[in-house]
Amino acid sequence: MSAVDQMDPSSLPARAAPRLPWRSRLAGLVRRFALATLAGLVLAGIVHIVTVLLIPQVSEHDAAAAYATLGTGGKAELLPTGAGQPDLRDADPATVTAVCSYDLSAGPMRVVARTGSLPLGLSLHRRGGGVVYAITERAAIRGTLEFVVMTEAQHDDRLAQDDEGETNRELRVVSDTEQGLIVARVLMERPSDRTEAEALATGVACGLAD
Amino acid sequence: MRVVTLAYVIALGAGLGFASAQYAIAGRPLFGMAQIGPWTSWPRSGSKDIDPYMRAYLVRGVHLPLGAGEGLELIADRDASGQLLDGRCRYLITGTTPTTRGWTIGVTDLDGRAFRLPLERSGFSDAEIVRDERGDLRIAAAAGPEAGNWLPLPTNGRFQLRLRLYDTPISSHANEMRPETLPRIGRADCR
Repeated sequence: MSAVDQMDPSSLPARAAPRLPWRSRLAGLVRRFALATLAGLVLAGIVHIVTVLLIPQVSEHDAAAAYATLGTGGKAELLPTGAGQPDLRDADPATVTAVCSYDLSAGPMRVVARTGSLPLGLSLHRRGGGVVYAITERAAIRGTLEFVVMTEAQHDDRLAQDDEGETNRELRVVSDTEQGLIVARVLMERPSDRTEAEALATGVACGLAD
Repeated sequence: MRVVTLAYVIALGAGLGFASAQYAIAGRPLFGMAQIGPWTSWPRSGSKDIDPYMRAYLVRGVHLPLGAGEGLELIADRDASGQLLDGRCRYLITGTTPTTRGWTIGVTDLDGRAFRLPLERSGFSDAEIVRDERGDLRIAAAAGPEAGNWLPLPTNGRFQLRLRLYDTPISSHANEMRPETLPRIGRADCR
């Protein structure tokens, strides 16, 4: 029952009286619809942002999940190719790629790579996307690239253990996830470089640091 | 009435939210893209401060992007005049490349996969290129055979060119790169 219905009809113009409730009801409906649409758009914005941020946390088809079993024996392993294997997207056919999957829950991991005549790059891909660290063979000291991957807590422990006043030569890389991949990429300058490139890529050692 | 309104709000919010998120990460996002002449690049895709859209796009497939200090990947799907690259045309890739430890240039489909062509060449590395007297680059990309550095194309349909620069000092400031520092993709003629 609206207020208009309860009014004395004689106080209103005779023709306008029956149309008012219909109009005000329509205006109310339009206002309600506009408000609901606005609320829906705000909700859509929230759903959009949450979805985009949540996908990396729940994704099970990323590289870290696809190659989780490779290189757990302390040596980098070449990416498997052929039918039924994970389909690596955007890969350069002129590179040879080997990976070491890491899990820092058991302790920090030491990565050692020997360099050769071909361009070599090492990169650290955390689980859920993002490259934490990348280094190339130009940073090698006497033909060896070496660094230790650790979590923030393990890094704090190591800092506490360091002797006072003594410089530490170890290159420490902090990964913000416990799991991820160490990727060794070697560029083949000519197709005949494949054997050498594969030897370089699989020559990367990744074992527990201590 | 209230239930209907609530259902409408939830349906609109969830539907539009999921659909727009799906659309935004279905391909490489526009956020963080650097456009240098015909070449596009996502310099932050290989760094720690990767933007959320690129991150979501990358984890939906098996991707191992080049690290920021490791190299830079540049993708072109248009020529210098802004027209889409097409297998029915002949292209001339000329000019120079920035200082790198090594680079490769390749032809791929729109998903980044190499075409299965009768000839086993989908790209060149810097060591394989035959250069002219001035040391400049000159690659002829066409479906039919060409003299010199010939990059075979599929006989028709769209394709992409991918230039990968390994161990290059420019990856950290790719946004400031000028088109002249990268190879030019000129269209010669079309069938």
